[in-house]
Amino acid sequence: MFERSLQAALGLLSLASLLGCSGGAGPEHEQTPSLIVSTMPAGFPKGTNGDQAPKDNALTLDRASLGKRLFYDPQLSRNREISCGSCHQQQYAFADPRPVSIGVEGRTGTRNASSIVNAAWGNSFFWDGRADSLEEQAGDPIENPLEMDLALSEAVARVASDPSYVEDFQQAYGEAPNESSLQKALASFVRSVVSGSSPYDRHLRGDDTDFGPQRKRGEALFSNEKAECFHCHPSGSLSNEGYFNNGTYTAGGDIGRQQVTGRVGDEGKFKVPGLRNVAVSAPYMHDGSLPTLEAVIEQYDAGGRGDPTADPLIKPLALTAEEKADLLEFLRSFTDDAWLSDPRFAP
Amino acid sequence: MSSFVDFGSERFVAGACKLAGMKSRRWVLALTTAMHVASAGCASTQQADPASGGAAGVLDERTAGSTASGGATAGTGGASAGNAGGSACSEQPIPRRTEGTPLSLSLSLVMAGKPFVFGQPNALADGGSLVPLNFRFYVSEVQLLQSTGQAVPVDVVTAAGAPEPYGVHLFNAEDEQSSTLRVLAPAGDYSGLSFALGIELACNRQAPALLGEPLTDASQMTWPHTGGFLFLRYEGRYTGADGRAGAPSDLPTAVHMGGSIASELVPRVTIPGTLSIPDNGSLSRALNLAVDEMFKGATAEIDVSDVAVGFLSTPESIAGERLRRKLSDLHVFVLEP
Repeated sequence: MFERSLQAALGLLSLASLLGCSGGAGPEHEQTPSLIVSTMPAGFPKGTNGDQAPKDNALTLDRASLGKRLFYDPQLSRNREISCGSCHQQQYAFADPRPVSIGVEGRTGTRNASSIVNAAWGNSFFWDGRADSLEEQAGDPIENPLEMDLALSEAVARVASDPSYVEDFQQAYGEAPNESSLQKALASFVRSVVSGSSPYDRHLRGDDTDFGPQRKRGEALFSNEKAECFHCHPSGSLSNEGYFNNGTYTAGGDIGRQQVTGRVGDEGKFKVPGLRNVAVSAPYMHDGSLPTLEAVIEQYDAGGRGDPTADPLIKPLALTAEEKADLLEFLRSFTDDAWLSDPRFAP
Repeated sequence: MSSFVDFGSERFVAGACKLAGMKSRRWVLALTTAMHVASAGCASTQQADPASGGAAGVLDERTAGSTASGGATAGTGGASAGNAGGSACSEQPIPRRTEGTPLSLSLSLVMAGKPFVFGQPNALADGGSLVPLNFRFYVSEVQLLQSTGQAVPVDVVTAAGAPEPYGVHLFNAEDEQSSTLRVLAPAGDYSGLSFALGIELACNRQAPALLGEPLTDASQMTWPHTGGFLFLRYEGRYTGADGRAGAPSDLPTAVHMGGSIASELVPRVTIPGTLSIPDNGSLSRALNLAVDEMFKGATAEIDVSDVAVGFLSTPESIAGERLRRKLSDLHVFVLEP
């Protein structure tokens, strides 16, 4: 019943947007295209991105729009120079082209910024999965000393001093800005960032216009017993939401999931990323140590970097040059070109 | 409707029995699965009867008189697998009964009689150690066994007593909350229980994108879109006494059982043990999974060359198929007194 009500509500919101009705939230919103999208990625669990939202933060246009404003606002960093969008750039699939991100005062982070594409369907967040929800995740980079280095209370104080923000929070959540609603709004924007029109998505829907023989060969290889990519990147969703040591970790490096669980077996495990738009989100792996997809394929082909902690399913693949090229072309089919410049998600 | 979805359809299963008809790329990908189906005789490609609701508080007449299947410990294939009562793949299965006594089975991993701790080094007799990295399996179609040989199907339920989605429980060693299997049982004395170590045909043939938890890709039990679900998945890391890797031959580093849309291959595990279900209150019992017994099956010298091609040619799949075939001779699951 709840899902049906929400879907109906989102449908009305979309209609309102098409008609130019933004709920009286002000001129800024009237110029903002609707963030409530209708095309869902193929092969994902049933339901829309809105269906994935928690009951206390139903996805609405007002909330996603407020979240977008916050996402691109450098006020949320201590020196007012860094926004979420500084490290999650749309043209790079909301990832960072630098191996590790640069925070306030030039401080360097420790991991490559993850893409937020289709994060609505995620079960946990960050490379080590330390956040169980997008709402919980949203506050972490703001307070992280290596990133935005601003206490959430101060972030709230800053936006609360701006009457237009106060109005937006009132419109979205019916209350003045507070830490909870700030995180909820950011989560709502992230939840609205959906890419579902790549050649691969269209292929899954039966349209092979941009999915030729080489991509099909690559898809077969991706899903067969030789490459075995499917174990972690199942067809459709392209992530099993699990944690695995894919052979990138070497002794003395970032232990990843083990930092959260303390389990010896989690040494060097990191969350399996989704692969939508992966061709534009270089560099790769948790540490950004692989600059290209070609390098990624080479590492998997070699069976990782030789550390004994690597998952037992990571082993040399003996791919031919043609197979590597096919695989690369298949990975490129995940690129949703129009989405990369979709104004709905732009600053 | 996407082509992805089509592969979970009745049409696919029927087609898989006609190997000569496989021409497209995906059909080729399905070759080994089709071989699996063919090896099972394609006996159950017909749609199972939809579940019908049972009257509140009474046994379901469809299943109350069914006879326990399987041997002393387990049976494989054919009628002994799930679907005994027949059902569609319903996320909200109609409960067989609305009243009963909650029976909680606390699942634990043991090795050589000692706790087998997930994610931590477990000492081995050879001086080495084994760290389990991934361990999960499905349980469905649970039955309580009467001394007369009659099997009483029971609903797999949540802690709140509602039927689990699809009637399926996923044990995931990473998730402590998943370690308890709950059923709603009629009061009485029983001589054991049995369950399908996997999922029923109707669900196994569905695309994960059409399903909810615990049958989504996040279960880590999904297989390429022509191959059904894994029923059991294990991965572990062995370190020898000298600190070097390289597991001995009787210690598989990965076991993947299932991965075929031929759900007839789902093994039914039968576990002897007295269960006295009271009229009121609840009952909790410990159910152990003996990992060393599982390894025996996974490394048994069984010729699986009839199916070990394509997807099923990997070491982990061969280990899984050996386990499946050997399960009836093993005591992998043990009900604690």
